[in-house]
Amino acid sequence: MGYFVLTYFCIAVFIIAAGCLIYRHLTLPLHVRWEIYPVRHETAPRNVYGGSYMENVDWWKRPYETSRLNEFKYMVPEILLLRGLRKENKSLWYVSFPFHMGLYLMTATLILMLLNAGVTLWGLPSFAAGGAFRPLMDHLIAVAGWAGLIAGTIGNLGLLYRRLTDRDLKNYSTFSDYANLSIILLFFLIASLAALSGDPFLDGAKAYVLGLLTAGKTGGAYAPGQTVAGALTIVMASLLVAYIPLTHMSHMFMKYFLYHSVKWDDVPNRPGTPIESAAMRNLQYKPTWQAKHIGADGQKSWRDIASSDPKEKK
Amino acid sequence: MKTLLKPSDIARDADRLCHIEPGDLAPLPPPYEDFNQRALTPLALEKIRNVEASLDDTVAIGIPRPASREEEDALVLQFLTGLKKLFEKENNWTFLQPLLLSMEHCARCQTCAAACPIYEMSGHQEIYRPIFRSEVLRRIYRKYLTPGGKLTAKLTGDIDLNWATIARLAELSYRCTLCRRCAMVCPIGVDNGLITHEIRKLFSQEMGIAPKEIHDKGTIQHLKVGSTTGMTAAAAKDSVEFIQEEMEEITGYKVDIPWDVEGADILLLHNAGEMLAWPENVGAFAIILQAAGLSWTMSSEAAGYDAVNYGLWYDDIQFSRVAVRHADIARRLKVKKIVIGECGHAHKALTVIADRLLSGDLNIPRESAMVTLENIVMSGKLKFNPRKNNFPVTLHDPCNVVRAMGIVEPQRRILRKLAPHFREMTPHGVENYCCGGGSGFAIMSGYNFAEWRNLISSRKKFLQILKAFENEPQDIPKYVCAPCSNCKGAIRDIIGYYDAEERSHLYYGGLVELIVNALDGMKKSIIRFGDKPSWE
Repeated sequence: MGYFVLTYFCIAVFIIAAGCLIYRHLTLPLHVRWEIYPVRHETAPRNVYGGSYMENVDWWKRPYETSRLNEFKYMVPEILLLRGLRKENKSLWYVSFPFHMGLYLMTATLILMLLNAGVTLWGLPSFAAGGAFRPLMDHLIAVAGWAGLIAGTIGNLGLLYRRLTDRDLKNYSTFSDYANLSIILLFFLIASLAALSGDPFLDGAKAYVLGLLTAGKTGGAYAPGQTVAGALTIVMASLLVAYIPLTHMSHMFMKYFLYHSVKWDDVPNRPGTPIESAAMRNLQYKPTWQAKHIGADGQKSWRDIASSDPKEKK
Repeated sequence: MKTLLKPSDIARDADRLCHIEPGDLAPLPPPYEDFNQRALTPLALEKIRNVEASLDDTVAIGIPRPASREEEDALVLQFLTGLKKLFEKENNWTFLQPLLLSMEHCARCQTCAAACPIYEMSGHQEIYRPIFRSEVLRRIYRKYLTPGGKLTAKLTGDIDLNWATIARLAELSYRCTLCRRCAMVCPIGVDNGLITHEIRKLFSQEMGIAPKEIHDKGTIQHLKVGSTTGMTAAAAKDSVEFIQEEMEEITGYKVDIPWDVEGADILLLHNAGEMLAWPENVGAFAIILQAAGLSWTMSSEAAGYDAVNYGLWYDDIQFSRVAVRHADIARRLKVKKIVIGECGHAHKALTVIADRLLSGDLNIPRESAMVTLENIVMSGKLKFNPRKNNFPVTLHDPCNVVRAMGIVEPQRRILRKLAPHFREMTPHGVENYCCGGGSGFAIMSGYNFAEWRNLISSRKKFLQILKAFENEPQDIPKYVCAPCSNCKGAIRDIIGYYDAEERSHLYYGGLVELIVNALDGMKKSIIRFGDKPSWE
């Protein structure tokens, strides 16, 4: 039961830490526009060359339109294939891509295992032992899991090697950068060991995930700790889940904000819109900057200060 | 191989952190090899005796040296107070979210480094690497302003905070043109240009430290006198009167530049520097708008005849004041829209950045002149003879118009129609390189900073221009079209510095000059290669 408690605890840490990060960004004040083109939700044909709606005469008389499809066409290869890194930093892509693909495949494996646990609990006969879809599910999980472990291990070793030997990367790498990679590498290695030591179809992991959904009360659920490697895999995977949102690796989900809230945030301020309301609220903030030319005293609002002239030079 | 500087070295006790040797810079092709061994003229000792100059071979701000250790400590504390304010919504709602995201998610993958023209052209000087200054700020913030930061600093990157750190960081924030090419290529979306911008703000808004060209002579003078050029409204009107006369010479008919016409459709905002340095640009605009029969006006109110907003580069409050002034002038003139002339940063300032500052009746629609001009040129109202532009033309993309606003094609469609020998630079459009004069550099020339700009920050643009014309005979004139005043200033300076008019027959100018040059029925050409115009 201790393993399940640890995993639940780590999942809770992930949810709370990621939730706090996301909540903070959802509740920050609206900032000024700072987009960079190309903005990928731009409609055709401007999307091709990085143009914007501001290329139109009297653009404010037209509706503000975006293309989800264009955004999707960019984001899918960006997320899955790291297209940007491939274009701008190919030598790093060769190791970063398998590393990220390894993590994606491990996530996919987990999702498949959850699905597998769900259909098992539901009692669908076609997924039961001897059922028509049982082999498909087992093979999918095994292929995704093995591919993830292999790609992740190779990519992780490559990234560590680059950080340790590349002059430029090494110069800016800190203990925490090496720790992040080492912790993930440890997970890949231990999980590979657990799979290699008599569990090629990851049955232990499947059973553990089933146990997670029922707090270990389902018949046939894996009893953790049967092998040292299996036990360590559970511990490492759990800790990793908790660890990621506490580090800069949270970019795996915070990238959404980096792109959608900054890089591609081109929504114009039109009368009567929420943007205008937020802008007007912001102008009520009372800054306390101390340089004399600002003339802030903690009482005057941004609006007051922006409508006044500086009294002093410095 | 040189020892690599680390971000923590910024606190080091040294007379100078980085020195560029002759031959360090990226090489130039023939016939410019003689510049390859050139290094910066050493700073005169008597000029830097009392200012901070321990970063590199130049000085952008000239921060007075503190008189005592106590004064240094007080300034360090003031810096930390300002840094804290950058992360408070009351003080920095303008950029809080972008700053937090960029501070927290950098993977230090160095993808940004290859995109930075200053880092590349300087011969990869470590202090110019885009993440060097970001990492300095990150480490200070983590160590001194986050709970337990001093304990975890050894794990996440340590740094000492002393006066040298602060003074060098201030100077270092003026070794980046804020072109944001690094941000464009970052796979995660981290923006080192933004972090540089925020460092500048901290120094200006909390400590009153900024280069005099952009603060004292810039926004302060702009708000007080009416223009960063120091021109009063009366002087501006005098200049325009003279421009009208010159334009009549060219066109053969009377050109009227309207002032303060209430209810006009368009308020045209020029960078006032055009009136002094490139009056033909102001004149060409007038010819086009008049010939197209548009209803337009200029404003003679203080700040209304100068579109610039230097606050964009270093101070949100000064930025807001100028933007509000511009919008308020348009509101009182009751114009239907503001059209921003050939000034890149004014484009971004008033159209994009000020967008969420200007609400209610100050939210006057704003449009780029590139768009207005394209509409006129393509409308068929005017007759053109493109063969009059029978010389090679290349287009410089101002970062603030292209990468920051996505206005990419209107100017190209004009050139494709009116300049038969138009060719692109490589790369171009949103992937362009900065002219090297961005973020105030074009107007900063104290100490030997102009030479630093010509040698380093504008070097990539110079190489791009040479490459664009490499297949053209040396002796024919070539035109670099730069529809931005700051960019024109920077390109003028590189042409002068490298003697490129003589060696490559390089000339430069704006977009409207090419349009007027191709207009049918003009008595004279407005583009006169090599001939000094009457206003010089």
